[in-house]
Amino acid sequence: MESNKKYWKGLEEYKNTPDFVEINKNEFAEPLPIEDVLNEAGLSTVTPRRDFLKALGFGLGAVTLAACQTAPVHKSIPYLIRPEEVVPGIPNYYVSSFNGQSIIVKTREGRPIKIEPNLNAGPFNRGTDALTQASVLDLYDVSKLRDPILSKNEKASWAEIDAFVKSELTKSQSSGKKIRIVSSSISSPSTLAVVADFIAAYPATQLVQYDAVSYTGIIKANENSFGKAVVPKYNFDKADLVVSFAADFLGTWISGEEFTSQYVSNRDHKSLQNGKMSRHFQFEAGMSLTGTNADTRVPVKLSEEGPALITLYNAITGANLAGGALPNNVTADKALKLVAKELIQNKGKSLVICGSNDVSTQILVNAINSAIGSYGNTIDLDNPYKRYTGNDAQFSELINEMNRGEVAAVFFLDSNPGYDVANTKSFTDGLAKVNLKVSFSDRKDETSTLCNVIAINHNYLESWGDASAYEGSYSIIQPTINPVFNSRQAEESLLIWSNGPVKEYYQYVRNNWEATVLPALGKVWKDVLQTGVFITAPKPAGTYTFSLSLAAVIPSIVANSKALAKDIELQVYESVPMRDGKHANNAFMQELPDPVSKVTWDNYIAIAPKFAEKLGYKEFDIVSIKDDKGYTIELPVLIQPGQAQGTASVALGYGRTMVGKAGNNVGKNAFPFVSFTNGTYKYATTVKLESTGKREELAQTQTHHSFEGRNIIREATFTEYKKNPAAGSGNEHGKHKSYDLWDKYEKPGNNWVMAIDLNACTGCGSCIVACNVENNIPVVGKDEVRRRREMHWIRIDRYYSFNVDGAEKHVEEGHGEHSNGINAVTKENDIAHLENLDNVSVVHQPMLCQHCDHAPCETVCPVLATVHSSDGLNHMAYNRCVGTRYCANNCPYKVRRFNWFNYWNDSRFDNYLNNEFTQLVLNPDVTTRSRGVMEKCSMCIQRIQAGKLKAKIEKRPLKDGDIKMACQQACSANAIIFGDGNDPNSEVSKALRSERIYYVLEEINVQPGIGYMTKIRNTDTTVQA
Amino acid sequence: MRNISLIVKRVLKSAFVFAVLSVLTISATRAQDVVEGRKLFKENCSSCHQLESNSIGPALTPMLKGLDEAFAIKWIRNWKALVDAGDKQAIEASKYSPAEMPFFPRLTDGQIKNIIAYAKAGEPKKAAEAVATTETTSDGASTFSIAGIVAIILLSIFVLIILGRAVKMLERLILQKQGVVIVDDVRVPFGAGFKVLLKNKRFVGFVVLLLVISLGSFGWMGMWNTGVHTGYQPSQPIKFSHELHAGTNQIDCQYCHQGAFKSKNSTIPSMNVCMNCHKSVQATEKYDGQISPEIQKIYAALGYNPETQTYDKSKEKPVEWVRVHNLPDFAYFNHSQHVVVGEAAIRKEKGLKPNEPVCFACHGPVNTMEEIYQYSPLTMKWCINCHRNAELDVKGNAFYDKIIEAHDKIKKGEKITPAALGGLECGKCHY
Repeated sequence: MESNKKYWKGLEEYKNTPDFVEINKNEFAEPLPIEDVLNEAGLSTVTPRRDFLKALGFGLGAVTLAACQTAPVHKSIPYLIRPEEVVPGIPNYYVSSFNGQSIIVKTREGRPIKIEPNLNAGPFNRGTDALTQASVLDLYDVSKLRDPILSKNEKASWAEIDAFVKSELTKSQSSGKKIRIVSSSISSPSTLAVVADFIAAYPATQLVQYDAVSYTGIIKANENSFGKAVVPKYNFDKADLVVSFAADFLGTWISGEEFTSQYVSNRDHKSLQNGKMSRHFQFEAGMSLTGTNADTRVPVKLSEEGPALITLYNAITGANLAGGALPNNVTADKALKLVAKELIQNKGKSLVICGSNDVSTQILVNAINSAIGSYGNTIDLDNPYKRYTGNDAQFSELINEMNRGEVAAVFFLDSNPGYDVANTKSFTDGLAKVNLKVSFSDRKDETSTLCNVIAINHNYLESWGDASAYEGSYSIIQPTINPVFNSRQAEESLLIWSNGPVKEYYQYVRNNWEATVLPALGKVWKDVLQTGVFITAPKPAGTYTFSLSLAAVIPSIVANSKALAKDIELQVYESVPMRDGKHANNAFMQELPDPVSKVTWDNYIAIAPKFAEKLGYKEFDIVSIKDDKGYTIELPVLIQPGQAQGTASVALGYGRTMVGKAGNNVGKNAFPFVSFTNGTYKYATTVKLESTGKREELAQTQTHHSFEGRNIIREATFTEYKKNPAAGSGNEHGKHKSYDLWDKYEKPGNNWVMAIDLNACTGCGSCIVACNVENNIPVVGKDEVRRRREMHWIRIDRYYSFNVDGAEKHVEEGHGEHSNGINAVTKENDIAHLENLDNVSVVHQPMLCQHCDHAPCETVCPVLATVHSSDGLNHMAYNRCVGTRYCANNCPYKVRRFNWFNYWNDSRFDNYLNNEFTQLVLNPDVTTRSRGVMEKCSMCIQRIQAGKLKAKIEKRPLKDGDIKMACQQACSANAIIFGDGNDPNSEVSKALRSERIYYVLEEINVQPGIGYMTKIRNTDTTVQA
Repeated sequence: MRNISLIVKRVLKSAFVFAVLSVLTISATRAQDVVEGRKLFKENCSSCHQLESNSIGPALTPMLKGLDEAFAIKWIRNWKALVDAGDKQAIEASKYSPAEMPFFPRLTDGQIKNIIAYAKAGEPKKAAEAVATTETTSDGASTFSIAGIVAIILLSIFVLIILGRAVKMLERLILQKQGVVIVDDVRVPFGAGFKVLLKNKRFVGFVVLLLVISLGSFGWMGMWNTGVHTGYQPSQPIKFSHELHAGTNQIDCQYCHQGAFKSKNSTIPSMNVCMNCHKSVQATEKYDGQISPEIQKIYAALGYNPETQTYDKSKEKPVEWVRVHNLPDFAYFNHSQHVVVGEAAIRKEKGLKPNEPVCFACHGPVNTMEEIYQYSPLTMKWCINCHRNAELDVKGNAFYDKIIEAHDKIKKGEKITPAALGGLECGKCHY
């Protein structure tokens, strides 16, 4: 039986508002003014019909004449001295690192154009996150400074700067005042060595590390509990049960990309075939990416997080700590008791994590993990993460020191406290009292404008360096392009200012490696330049037992929770696209839809539907948000199903004022809502909301394409799957016999097909950015997204559906026959459950051109611009397209995109590609489409052709895995499998033979080339409540 | 125009050669040494030495002037033996850097003397030119003779007309002498005849038809050739001659166009490739001992000073060649695909001779092009015709094994063309 569970993309679709129905009648968002032009009144409008025809005639003539000009003269300028390794037309690949992750940089003719994962770097380095993919655009950012700045001198020379800084440093040193280097966490051993050398030269110096979004809570808690001040290494691959309290570990928490890979390895099609699937509970206030992937997600208020953890601790250990009561959240209370039993059952194979930055809370989490035997199994304190080593208290103290006038010199390395510090005013006041202020920023940003020296740093793609993401892992950063501007690497500047013997940073890094890492491994420098990463054998993960008393921490947790239980509880969080705002000028990231809300180019205040109704706000109403300190911002409301009642969420990273053309004044800054209490920064506060009477439509991509209630998402529970692997796929009772009116396409050679595992896909969106970069997909900007003109070839559709009373069901019915927590809400009785809009489950479905064998777009194209190929692809010839848009009309999947403008060369889209410098990021193997043509996913045909050619030249058959799609390559979850369907042994053929495979809109018999595997939810409990 | 001026030049040159050769035969004995020496110099010495300027080795002419011939002979044959024997002059000379000179034990005394004679005498300008021109006149003959024939035909027609007139005059004179009255043809005024013609509907119809056909076909051809640039021959910043390099000197295409067999681009060579030869090949003999102005452009681009043999990075200025073969951006073309994978098929389809490089299939006889021009139309029709007709050589390429096995058409014994394997599908070139 096919499921008739109801899915909906947005609330307007769910409620079927009249506006939504009206809009969906038309294929395109904006009605064409044809009737206005053609009726009688049309003659008297601003552009009457006759004038229009005159203009048309003139235009036609003018265009014809213009086309008669002789061909332009093209110049070819070869290298004067060609670098040995560069052959124009052939890409070179170099290993490097970004944010501690080992990557491969693809360069063409000496310019980096694409980032790919380095598969040598361990089993869980399978993909890259969206930010890594987009980072290549940062290199070609026109908002960067071209020369260093010394006070008012905008074109200072490095010699002038060196002389000035050195003399000031000597003065500072002799004055007896303090010198401070402020940096975000440094995970590079060489950078740390450089800083140490600097401190040796100027002993008054201290390194202050802080992160805009801090993990100090975890570090301090581990120091307190186990004497190890580290962020431990979490092994999600070893966890059969994951319980997360507001930690967005698949998105932004610590190392989302690696965790995704680990987490999915217990849930993807391979794991399911082995009959194994982990279970995941998420307790959180705002709907996070991780929450959408949870098997069971329970909304809890921010003020309930502490009590919830106490409840869980009590239930596991049988202790009776005070404060463990959730009087207003019965669902959570029951769910927690169930979770406790399951945790005990899965001792040593489970993991409890918490996103809080509160030391007390994290100590309690440590106690829970110790009780369930996580240490040495799922948590490894002996091979810790090194990417986050910030110390909030130290940074907070620095601001005090500056205000007291004790600091003579301060250096800002990869940090921008002018923007992301909680108390901006006290920071800027303090900074004004500092004599020498040096920023290593590459642009005039919120901090560097307050400094007297901007010693512009290289982009990471121009730099030498190294990184150690976790204990025992060392990766190299090597330059892939000569510095474009007159910049100098920050480390080199520090070396020069500290008068060390080695002034060249390349030599310094090399010396450092040759002295430390390489001899231990028996390798030489050249090896590391090739492999990019060395991982030493991990130390054995010790088991740690929590043996302290919780008496001290519980009152603090309870007090925190009480402080939050008033007004409206506001959570500020890192969103997947914007993170902490460092890359706010990256247009790819600005246009990447938030994985949950699908909003681009803005932040917003997310409020639950019922709560918004109670407050009297409608979607897109602008409200003013005011906290106790008096900080006020105005943001539009977003109605977010699943948000805990009484809470609101606002994303950090927006509201930059000095970052560049694309990112300036996008959204509002939420960092001032962060507060500093008990030695750490807290990302929860209470606010009052006030209506402003204004409205602003957010640029969402979510409701842009309606699927008219068709059965395109198919899912089953893990129990159902174990009974029948085809459960929920619509094929569990055998396939219908189908008949064809059309001839079959012959595919004698290859048959390029794809399988997408809905259970692996987390919806993170890195495939979208990878596709953007690979295929030169333009960014269109906020206004155009509002007009539904986003150009993404692959989108991730997010569907909501209901749970019947969610977790309650588990508890009440136990492990009975029908105990799946997602008991389908059918169309017939869904109205009755409107009350429970909090309790939604989510499915992410990547949607791209399905390369149908009987493609509806092909039959309607009047100029044969889109035709079928003999290897199963649906080709799109841009130069043939005349832009009738019939194909988009006729596409059942709504994956075709129309170029309304010359986005890459039009002054109205001046945030991005409209300059020769940024255009260097374009992939030269893919045509940039001009105005008036249709485009869509080409299945990375340039990669297919290149892979085939390589095999042809080498005279060998094409192997499975030779050709990878950009989206597939970026996917950490291996959710996208691509290959030759004619090869029965290829990965994709195996995947497509899975019982879980179904085709979207199979019933219309367009015969898509992309199969989807059903979503499986592990919602059935194995314990008796 | 270019051809005519060439012909004139060659005619003049051959006349000059004739004169020079006859003079030379008189003083043959002395000149023979120099000519022989020049030949030996080119064979053995010129890769390191030049006459007037230092290159890898020192300039020969000034050095040899004050040098004992016996010493020079010993030095050339085995300078190391001299150094080992403790010859002071040799030890001093051996300090010259950058490279050690090889030994030439095979050269006879006479040969070395000839070389020295040549080096002392300097470039025998006239003789050199004579040699150069005798080499070229042979292939110039054919064009010359054709032009001659045309001239003779024109001349004879002219003579015939004059003769005809003369005959007519003579006839008249004879008739007048015989007393025959000559009635001149009544000349109809031109305008009247035209009017008569205009009234002739058939004639008018014919003319109109002719006009329509000629204008129509002119327009038709014009439209078909819009955007087709066959024969496009822009003038380049350096007068680089493919005829000289690829034709006369037989340099392989890949020596300069290294990308063609690896990449989508055949690549225009970078200037360091030019310098491999032109560091010493300076064509001074053609320019009164000066370096050829075209070769100087290479030096200028690189900031190279031939006197000091040093490069000055600050004077670097890349050469902006004018692109001859332009494909639109939306068409993907890959050289390696065609010249490596498709080489056999293309050779067969285009009927290339075994000694011709596969490049000639589309680029034409590059070895005869003084300046490069676009040989093929580079239109889509032209691409497709070849993709339809060329028979792929799939034997020995394991890539095709499975595809061929699965392909019905091929089982039926039909020709395997790129089109049969999907080579005409839009997305194969347009993406």
